[in-house]
Amino acid sequence: MHRYEKTILEILKKKQKSDPDSLINAGGLGKDETLWALESLSGKGLIEITRENEKQVSLTEEGMQYVKEGLPEMILLKRLKEGTIPIKNLGDKRSMIGLQWAKKKGFIVISNGSVLLSDKGVNALERGIDTQKDMEAIASGNTVKDIEELIKRGLAQESSKNRVSMVTITRKGIDAKLNEVDESLIDSVDRKLIATKGWEGKNFKPYDIKLEVEKPVPARRHPLSYTIGRIREAYVSNGFTEVSGPIIDSAFWVFDSLFEPQDHPARDAQDTFYIANADETEASPEAYVNRVKKAHTKGWKYRWSLPTSRETVLRTHTTSVSARYIYDIISGIMEEGKAPVLPIKLFSTGRIFRNENIDYKHLADFYQTDGIIIGEDLRLAHLFDTILKLYSWLGTEIRFKPAYFPFVEPGAELYAYSKKSSEWMELGGSGVIRREITGVRNGKISVLAWGVGVERLALIGNERLKGISELYNNGLGWLRKSGD
Amino acid sequence: MPVMDFNKRYLEKLIDAKFDSIEFEDILWKMGFTVEGSTEDTISVEITPNRPDMLDAVGFARAFRHFTGKSKEYDYEIKDQKLDVSITVGSNAKKVRPFIASFTVHNINFTEDSLTNLLNATDKFTDTFGRKRKKIAIGIHNLDTVSGNIEYDAYHDSKYVPLNMNKEMKYSEVLSTSEKGMKYKEALKRGTKLYPALHDHKGTLALIPILNSERTKVTTSTKNLLVDITGSSEYLVNKTAELLACSFIDMGATVRKAGIKYPEKVAETPLMDKQTISLTIKRIIGELGVKMSSDSILAMGHRMGYSCTLDGKKITFTVPQYRVDIINEQDVIEDLLIAFGYDNIVPAAVPSINPGASEELTRKRTSIEDLMIGSGYNQMFNSYLSNDTYNFSMMRQNAPTDSAVRIKNPKTDAATVMRTWLTPSLLRNVSLSLNERMPLNVFELDMAFSVKAGMPSEKYHIAAVSCSSKANFNDAKGLAELILSNLGLEYTISDSKNECFIEGRRAGIFHNGKEIGFFGEIHPEVLSNFKIEEPAIGVEITLPFESYSYIGNSKTADQNVKKTVK
Repeated sequence: MHRYEKTILEILKKKQKSDPDSLINAGGLGKDETLWALESLSGKGLIEITRENEKQVSLTEEGMQYVKEGLPEMILLKRLKEGTIPIKNLGDKRSMIGLQWAKKKGFIVISNGSVLLSDKGVNALERGIDTQKDMEAIASGNTVKDIEELIKRGLAQESSKNRVSMVTITRKGIDAKLNEVDESLIDSVDRKLIATKGWEGKNFKPYDIKLEVEKPVPARRHPLSYTIGRIREAYVSNGFTEVSGPIIDSAFWVFDSLFEPQDHPARDAQDTFYIANADETEASPEAYVNRVKKAHTKGWKYRWSLPTSRETVLRTHTTSVSARYIYDIISGIMEEGKAPVLPIKLFSTGRIFRNENIDYKHLADFYQTDGIIIGEDLRLAHLFDTILKLYSWLGTEIRFKPAYFPFVEPGAELYAYSKKSSEWMELGGSGVIRREITGVRNGKISVLAWGVGVERLALIGNERLKGISELYNNGLGWLRKSGD
Repeated sequence: MPVMDFNKRYLEKLIDAKFDSIEFEDILWKMGFTVEGSTEDTISVEITPNRPDMLDAVGFARAFRHFTGKSKEYDYEIKDQKLDVSITVGSNAKKVRPFIASFTVHNINFTEDSLTNLLNATDKFTDTFGRKRKKIAIGIHNLDTVSGNIEYDAYHDSKYVPLNMNKEMKYSEVLSTSEKGMKYKEALKRGTKLYPALHDHKGTLALIPILNSERTKVTTSTKNLLVDITGSSEYLVNKTAELLACSFIDMGATVRKAGIKYPEKVAETPLMDKQTISLTIKRIIGELGVKMSSDSILAMGHRMGYSCTLDGKKITFTVPQYRVDIINEQDVIEDLLIAFGYDNIVPAAVPSINPGASEELTRKRTSIEDLMIGSGYNQMFNSYLSNDTYNFSMMRQNAPTDSAVRIKNPKTDAATVMRTWLTPSLLRNVSLSLNERMPLNVFELDMAFSVKAGMPSEKYHIAAVSCSSKANFNDAKGLAELILSNLGLEYTISDSKNECFIEGRRAGIFHNGKEIGFFGEIHPEVLSNFKIEEPAIGVEITLPFESYSYIGNSKTADQNVKKTVK
């Protein structure tokens, strides 16, 4: 006899009869273990199980709402306390429900198109309505006699479950000796059994494979982490090296170095987070500042301001990281005469920010991934080929559309076909970086660049994901069954 | 990006085609524009900021007709050399709004549709490209109501009857009470008591850049126009005049230049100068990636509205005056690629011999994340933005005056500081999952921020929170030491003063004498703040590595790229 069975049988020998909850309490075993022992003892004829179809009553969502806010008829009665109301002034659907039930229960009288309280209604106002009390009782886990109205109104629901209601010890059970070992079946596998080969020639006691068991509580990686991992894998397997740069940055690297004019709407306080108390960001190389100033003055015909470029912002794209590396590498090639093996392929992935109205499903932070290739004689055809290879894991068609970004020429937007929503979805932007930015003079070396929204990739690449907001809810229940 | 609502009836007439068709949307896609929506009467198209000429249905139709081969008109010239108007610029103008360009339009035939389009287009143009009229403002007047010499200057406050008003108003009144005044007063450079305005001998034609006068109002029966363009950049003012002149020429009207007399110089606008850009056929073929005849290249140039000529091994492209976005040959190449069709570009592999690699930083992070997941903690991704309530007061912390990075322009109270630690985010995660099975174990490995003497700092933290009826100090200590031993970090455990934990059930982690982390049982007051009704423990450690790999200037080229460069 298994020790669980012994525990249960021991209790029943004293009590004769018990409900399963008391057995769980008295025996100190878990629910699964207790139920298993009961089934097993019953199979051996040592106990008898009485089952019953247990009806469980629970409130529906509407019911829960009324517990909080009061039944519509009660709300109506409260309004009527102030005086009669013409039916046409009752308004919304909820009031009409209230009217219907108040009338049925005789709480109101309708006369000349107006509603007024009946005596019964006055009484109900003072003492409360039974239906309301019943709902409150159900909500706090008590049973209620009359649930007919609640069911009919869809405020409560009944479900039934065939459960063990009572357990009685049989004659055979009373006679059974607790220490009697059933030599023929092995209960648990332990060290001794294994060492002594005690299992040879014996059978193992079987488990009921249909019995419901609890699943382990898992711990998981976040789905966004999988998406970022897939992006990284695609880049690295295509020969890209990962880099990263600051999140709090000067407007110079986020905007000016990317040929974004200083009065561009994207730089507005409406769209970009400015930092109030950190103006000591890393200084930009003087030669580059002068080149950027010249490009702006010539290209956009305005007076470029150094202080404006020194304002501190939260980066609005990871292209600010690309801009740094483009400058570093090309100035290394140009000015110091270094000749690295081209092409150089780099990528980065990180948080970006947009100054938006924030609520629980709408954040101001996003993820972006940026890539660049610095090489000789590169053109749009190379950019398209690279992007098609990098995003082939999405398993969806990708299309390019002419587009305008100040720092590239030619420029293209990337679209992927979303099977989930049956539409072309914009993933990001790309292009050949303008020579004004790269500073390349002889025309041989060009830079391809692109940036893609990570959440969009997650949405298209992860079939289970319903919306981007799901990613940032971090709900544990959701995460525990989220897949990758 | 600006979205323009075009009148369907008018646009269909201009482009000589029906839209609402898949073909129409497809052509626009190939040109680089998106149809955002349509109603019975209007179609909304997103116009990219480099093409303000297409905010106008006339300009839009022009580009469409070129692209589809329906129009062969490439050269815009002002043939009638007569000057009808001369504007004298006063010496005060340069203090407030220095530049003006102007021209006159003769024998225009407006319809309800074409006039509405013109006014909508100029409004949108000055709102977007003109930066809410700060950079560019446009005024259109009935020329036949203007008399005598016209003067542009900055004047003292005076009275006129503004457009669509039935009484005289002072300039200052227009600014403070009229709809346009309130909308555009920011565009007016203040700091002086003078107002830029256009006058003729009868008085004010317009308070610039706010509102025209009722006297010069344009209606469908107006035949002749005076157009003024003002702003802070002479180049853009002139360019805008050219852009508008092209539209009036397309509408079938005659355009005449206007004389502008500055105190120090004279000009006749629109200049209508022609910019040419030459490219070798070899370069073009190289960019397209396909061999093409010079005739086909000329045809592609025409489809983008260029007048172009073959000149030996070169092609010279004349940039139409309405294009404000063509800086140099890179821009012409993009246009040729658009004409060629992005869908027709055959992808070409980038030759590459270098292997790729992820950052060392990524490997370090992944290792700690795996340790946490293996220890039963779920990974969280939370916002980097927080506020004083979450980051400090709910955590029983005194909000420091200067060590948190603060947002200068928050839109909501939810995002006013950059988070200084991760534990508040994790407690919030727990509080939103209270109905899930216990234990509620969460961790986050991500950034926290601080500032010291104006220098921002970004640091990776690892933080974990476990909430269950059995959570206690020993669990917290065990977890902290597990992480620390995996980091291979030397440390000592000593007292902590972090008030988010219960006194006597909290400890600090010290490395080289500096507190780099803490752990303990979360204080019940903090738990209540997050509506958590079971005990919880927390661990947070600042990770001993840089948060990004960029190390600055050309050093980076050496160190980071060394891996991929022989």
